[in-house]
Amino acid sequence: MTTSSFYHMILKPGAIYQATLQSIKTVVPVVQRCLGCLMVCILVTGCAQQDEFEEDQVGNFEALWTIMDQHYSFFDYKQVNWNEVHQRYRALVSNKMTDRELFDVCGDMLKELRDGHTNLIASHDVSRYWVWEQWPVNYNERLIDQHYLNFDYKMASGIKYQILTDNVGYLYYGSFSSGIGEGNLDLILSYLSTADGLIIDVRDNGGGLLTNVETLVSRFIDKKTLAGYICHKTGPGHNDLSEPYAYYFEPTKNHIHYLKPVVVLANRGSFSAANNFVSIMKSLGQVTVVGDTTGGGCGLPFTGELPNGWRVRFSSCPIMDANGKLTEFGVAPDVRIDMDENDNTHDAILDTAIRLLTSSTLH
Amino acid sequence: MTNSFNGIIRRNGVICSLIFALAMSFTAVGQESVSMFTIDAGYSSIHDSYLSPITYDGFDLAMGYEAMRPVKQQWLWQLQVGADYNNVENAAKNNTLHKLMGDITFDMQRQWRGALLRRIDLSVGPMTQLRAGVVYNPAASNNTVTARANWNVGVTGMAAMHTRIGRMPITLRYQAQLPVLGVFFAPEYDESYYEIYLGNHRNLAHLGWWGNRLDMTHYLGADLHLGKTTLRLGYRARMEHWNVNNLKVHDISHSLVVGIGTSFKQQ
Repeated sequence: MTTSSFYHMILKPGAIYQATLQSIKTVVPVVQRCLGCLMVCILVTGCAQQDEFEEDQVGNFEALWTIMDQHYSFFDYKQVNWNEVHQRYRALVSNKMTDRELFDVCGDMLKELRDGHTNLIASHDVSRYWVWEQWPVNYNERLIDQHYLNFDYKMASGIKYQILTDNVGYLYYGSFSSGIGEGNLDLILSYLSTADGLIIDVRDNGGGLLTNVETLVSRFIDKKTLAGYICHKTGPGHNDLSEPYAYYFEPTKNHIHYLKPVVVLANRGSFSAANNFVSIMKSLGQVTVVGDTTGGGCGLPFTGELPNGWRVRFSSCPIMDANGKLTEFGVAPDVRIDMDENDNTHDAILDTAIRLLTSSTLH
Repeated sequence: MTNSFNGIIRRNGVICSLIFALAMSFTAVGQESVSMFTIDAGYSSIHDSYLSPITYDGFDLAMGYEAMRPVKQQWLWQLQVGADYNNVENAAKNNTLHKLMGDITFDMQRQWRGALLRRIDLSVGPMTQLRAGVVYNPAASNNTVTARANWNVGVTGMAAMHTRIGRMPITLRYQAQLPVLGVFFAPEYDESYYEIYLGNHRNLAHLGWWGNRLDMTHYLGADLHLGKTTLRLGYRARMEHWNVNNLKVHDISHSLVVGIGTSFKQQ
């Protein structure tokens, strides 16, 4: 269709139209081109659609596999062939499955990643790979409360603390999700300052907020300190990772710092943010880590979701220690020791820490 | 390649011209001062791949203020300030996203009175817009929230016509706002805000152009002049689309606009 015939089609001849037709003829081609360009841009940018999946069992399986394929950050590190995993588990999925059956297959597929941060979350269940369920417990809260603290301890900001009979300070922090107030920390460290050394117990601490790690670590350093490196996925490819970014912690200004010897207690239940805390503390000169290897979990988890509403959590942003190494499978202690599961009155890990602090070893 | 590109432009240009011409036939102009408070309510759809691969649908609620004044004989300026909230659900109806944005837009437009069909005033001119806010996904972990911020310059065009329904004067108005160039914020693909907090600010600010970002706002409405008070009824469509750092955002809203204020025509 020519431009001229187009005008005559939409603008029928008439007195008022004839008067303006000439001016329109000069304006419309310009407008036409501009809007044409605009339409092309809309079409080009509008093609950037997300992957669409059917809302059936196969579609949900494919959505889950694709989310992990595009966002999970440890395929190469863990040497997982995700395409091969797809072949194996896709053969187990059909649209005739129940939701629970599909969930079990998907959950098993995710376990191939051996990742405590990876969960499939549905209304009826949460799939998990919790490494601490496979290792010695190495922590008994009741034993410590009864035989070391005599049920006499202080509590503030989610921290349980007391000075033990050997003049050793003891501080238990059970979750990095518990917010730590700077004022509370001042009062806690002030109270513990008369002790010869401090035990920080993060056993069974499943993690939480990394900002709380910084808040706590900042009390045990006296200068700007390299805490580690962090990176992230930059695209859907398995190796699309950013350059590791070095991050530093600085001592908190105008607050109490504790620079005497410190022993950090860890077990396999020290996961995620607690794993990060242990890895940073271990790099400090006055700190010794005692107990078991931590549970790992050095990938900052992100969350995606499937068409049926199930959510999947997965490691997306790897965090490395100050040596640039991933701690996904845990931080090894300086002194490795297990508790005796048959001894209900002594905590061998805590005893070792007290011995280290009361002897001249760490002074 | 060039020929086929021109062909696409020509074909789409014809369609767009038709739409444009139809829009012009319904709406139009006048040199008037406007001071108006508005409420928008309607449908919205949000797709933000940083937060979720799923597109969410729900409602849009916005409040705004608009001032428009003529400057000399041929120019007018317009100021729009607004805040909008989107509450959208996924298809499974088990999660809700919340989006809260604020914006301020200023433009200067050259007017041509009676430029079209002797009854319709046209105006066009440059605009600048600052828009910022957050989108929150309560069900996510470290990608639970993302910030939106952009500043842009572009063009806006308006057509207005003063007429009457019975004895009541009304002003019909169509306006399109089209940012062309700008700067906007976007994290990298799976970059956590914790990493940004730690100081890694690489690749967060982006030059926005039609190759990676396209925003549009269309308004079509009528101002009903009831003595010194003016009531507004209209429709507003807003689109925000961008694709950068392998992230995709595509938000749209279609809202009914009601407003109250004052307006008077300059003689």
